[in-house]
Amino acid sequence: MSAAVRICDLKRTFTLKGVLNGVDLDIAPGEFVALLGRSGSGKSTLLRALAGIDHEAEGTGEIALPPRLSVIFQDARLLPWMRVLDNVTLGLPRDAHARALQALEEVGLAGRERSWPHELSGGEQQRVALARALVREPALLLADEPFGALDALTRIQMHELLRQLSQRHQPAVLLVTHDIDEALALADRIVMLDDGRISADLQVAGRGDRTLIALQRKRLLAMLGVT
Amino acid sequence: MNAISGDILPAPPSLAPLAQRTPLGPGIPSRNGHLLGPGLLLLYWAVLSATGWLDPRTLPAPWTAITTGADLVREGRLQSNLVVSAARAASGLLVGGTAGVLLAFLSGLSLLGGYVIDGIVQLKRGIPILAVIPFMILWFGIGEPMKVAVIAVAAFFPIYIQTHSALRAIDLRYVELAETLGLSRWQFLRRIVIPGALPGFLLGLRFGATAAWLALVVVEQLNASSGIGYMVTLARNYAQTDVMLVGLVVYALLGFGTDSAVRWAERRLLRWRRTLGR
Repeated sequence: MSAAVRICDLKRTFTLKGVLNGVDLDIAPGEFVALLGRSGSGKSTLLRALAGIDHEAEGTGEIALPPRLSVIFQDARLLPWMRVLDNVTLGLPRDAHARALQALEEVGLAGRERSWPHELSGGEQQRVALARALVREPALLLADEPFGALDALTRIQMHELLRQLSQRHQPAVLLVTHDIDEALALADRIVMLDDGRISADLQVAGRGDRTLIALQRKRLLAMLGVT
Repeated sequence: MNAISGDILPAPPSLAPLAQRTPLGPGIPSRNGHLLGPGLLLLYWAVLSATGWLDPRTLPAPWTAITTGADLVREGRLQSNLVVSAARAASGLLVGGTAGVLLAFLSGLSLLGGYVIDGIVQLKRGIPILAVIPFMILWFGIGEPMKVAVIAVAAFFPIYIQTHSALRAIDLRYVELAETLGLSRWQFLRRIVIPGALPGFLLGLRFGATAAWLALVVVEQLNASSGIGYMVTLARNYAQTDVMLVGLVVYALLGFGTDSAVRWAERRLLRWRRTLGR
């Protein structure tokens, strides 16, 4: 199968934050990849390079991406002066309204399209961001610690929602996270980044099998230097 | 309570009913609350006049302003002068405001524009408007164009400065968002830049409108044959304190009215905001 994403020898340097020292990564269409690493390992740098918003970085290497790509940030990043529906359709032609309403229904926010962002809870705002990403029917979904700012219960609900939606719409997903349990719960494959290089690339096996998951969890923790 | 725990543990602190916390926000705003201050001032003035503490030669009573105002309206002098003054202020505000917004966008959205325009504006900002008037007379003569130009310059600065700083304060995260959503330059401007700068512009407009009225007072007393300022200057020559007072009251009402209008527009346009004071 041809890759949805191909990254070859990607290098990035900044004056201030993270660096990439030659990253190679292929992601297959529909594959859910979690990018795991300590803070400062270059996870966000890689994602920002893929999203094309790392103007401040210098670097070399090649990136091939599908044309339709959506990004979800850690903050919902809704425009406060637009109602929920207008936030979802931002930048889309007028005929996107019906699809946007459908996307809002899919994330469980039917009937909230006329609300202002500040009237929503943090979890609801992140659902709107998810709807805004989905309505563009992306072939690749980039998510930069999208649930990092949510409380533990909301996070579990959002995991379930993201899993359902990614199964239904089948985009390739690159989820940046530092949460091993999140990575194990959602991803088909876990890529670990350490000091700007990929240090491990593992298929997640035996979802639903507690002992297997616990074993992988232990292994990942050891790789991250937490024992 | 049993004896053992009573011996070992200290007695539980006695419970007090929950005291209501002092609310630190200013409370629920009233619709016409901003009329209170002017109302109190009016009351104070009326009491002083009625009790004779205030000599009518120093400052006539508030009702004198009303009766004289009514007389002036009957003669037709107040309306005609008011129309002239309002037209001057409005055209000055329009010219100055348009220039302010255009230049703020040029200097706020392009680096080069910022380097060129903002420096000049900051330099000019230090010069008081009164000091510019001789040059304005030199360039525009002593007729209407000079008056409108002075008002425009006065209104320009607050509108430029507030709009410019609002543009510069637009969150970079929204710019990133626009990039990832693939917005065109025009969509970015319309959906993010303009709404983001609107609160700053409206604040500038409030200051600018006030500045326009102030400049109007100055230019109308300079050389004019019509307008509220002319009416006041004329009354001063004849020591008609009541007509002078009417002029002041009209200025105050105009300023207050304009400010209220902009605030009303603010409430309508910025409904999405949730702030401490509306």
